[in-house]
Amino acid sequence: MRAQFVLSETWIGLRRNLTMTIAVITTVAISLALFGGGLLVNQQVSEMRSYWDQRITLTIYMCNEISPAQTCQDNGPATDADREALRADLDDMPQVEGYTYLTAAEAWQDFQERIGSSNEALAEAAQEGDIPDNFRVQLTDPSHYDTVRNAVTGSPGVDSVSSDQSVLDKFYDLLDGLKWAALVVALVQLAAAALLIGNTIRLSAYSRRRETGIMRLVGASNFYIQLPFLLEGAVSGLIGGLIAAGFIVATRYTLLTQIEAWFQFDVGLGTGSLLYVIGVSIILGVLLCTVTSFLTLRRYLKI
Amino acid sequence: MIHFDNVTKVYTTQKRPALDGVSIDVDKGEFVFLVGPSGSGKSTFLRLVLKEEKPDKGRVHVAGKDLARLSNWKVPHLRRRIGCVFQDFRLLPNKNVFENVAFALEVIGKPRRFIRKVVPEVIELVGLEGKAGRMPNELSGGEQQRVAIARAFVNRPQILLADEPTGNIDPATSIGIMKVLDRINRTGTTVVMATHDAAIVDSMRKRVIELEEGLVVRDQTRGVYGQAY
Repeated sequence: MRAQFVLSETWIGLRRNLTMTIAVITTVAISLALFGGGLLVNQQVSEMRSYWDQRITLTIYMCNEISPAQTCQDNGPATDADREALRADLDDMPQVEGYTYLTAAEAWQDFQERIGSSNEALAEAAQEGDIPDNFRVQLTDPSHYDTVRNAVTGSPGVDSVSSDQSVLDKFYDLLDGLKWAALVVALVQLAAAALLIGNTIRLSAYSRRRETGIMRLVGASNFYIQLPFLLEGAVSGLIGGLIAAGFIVATRYTLLTQIEAWFQFDVGLGTGSLLYVIGVSIILGVLLCTVTSFLTLRRYLKI
Repeated sequence: MIHFDNVTKVYTTQKRPALDGVSIDVDKGEFVFLVGPSGSGKSTFLRLVLKEEKPDKGRVHVAGKDLARLSNWKVPHLRRRIGCVFQDFRLLPNKNVFENVAFALEVIGKPRRFIRKVVPEVIELVGLEGKAGRMPNELSGGEQQRVAIARAFVNRPQILLADEPTGNIDPATSIGIMKVLDRINRTGTTVVMATHDAAIVDSMRKRVIELEEGLVVRDQTRGVYGQAY
């Protein structure tokens, strides 16, 4: 095996079909970037899920004068006795890690602080007293959510029980949608890339049919004849993959960082996950190109 | 060296077989002319020796190997024992004489030192000393064919197949080509040459096998091109 010979043949092939090579690299890069983007979102969602699952809180709103719920209409605002009873219930529940009680004033203050910076109109529209006093309950495990919720719902003075879960689910759905959209487009692009690679290798095989014909005649092994073409595909795939890696890193540090800032939490996607996504994308690119080249050669390079 | 046992080859697009129950034996070191009109089966014979085609009936043995039993991945090794020369030279236009000859060794993975030693020897053997750096388009037809012969012979094959090697060359130059082939034959290489060139066949007085419509109609030692002569 003479590496230098094979490499120079590969280089000649890449250069001879330069425009096609560029087209292949571009298509591969775009499709892999989309694919990697999809993977990245997927990783981000699962990391966020585990982050939030550990921190999920339940908020128990108490009845006040303006509560629309039927129980509140019937029984009037929650009394101190109701609150004491609820405290006792929560203390008894093993699923409850702990809780804090916020008076209506504190709840309004908290709301102003959390929402005020991003949505001033909403913050100004809210009056003290709009938000009823409430209990913030931390659970030992997010799976106990329904148990606790059912236990306290209907207790005297309780208006409603809500959690971050429902808000997060909407966000997850959005990200899931994004992920699938990216993956579907990536798939279509990858198919287009495969066709392009097939065509390029076919052209390459055709333009070098004289050389391959002689190689066949003088008894070069099939592997030796095919190797430059396979490498040509692999190199295109690799370059495309590397460019895609650049896109993926850029996506990580612009788009996802923005999403994180928007949600005011720090679940920075670890370097490990980023490397995983990049690795998978590059390997996929190289494999796709090599396998397509191989299949094309079987049809167009008679051995 | 080459043994055809009742070989029949039919191409799917044609009704008449290209070879029809042909039995031929070529011994080691022989020089054989394959003559006959176009379409008589000469090229099919050569392609069967190279295992570019498979016979429909009969057996082909080349260099002691039963080609029917030779697996596809071993075919390259068979072809390393067979050199090939064609009417249209088939040189690589972007490589010079040395590189064209060296190409045959490079692609079967021979070490560079070996190539540097062997290629000049073969270039000299075919009478092109001093022209190793020329490009094919700077050479005459006869010289180009010598390069092609050098390339076919550089790996010292046991068999040299030549398909009308003088077909594109004028008679005077053809004599030079034949001398090269004769020289190669004298090194012990079996030479099988398909040709239409009556003058050459007659002057060489070697074994002549004549094919017609896929049948062997004549097999004559020290023969001539046509029986009419």
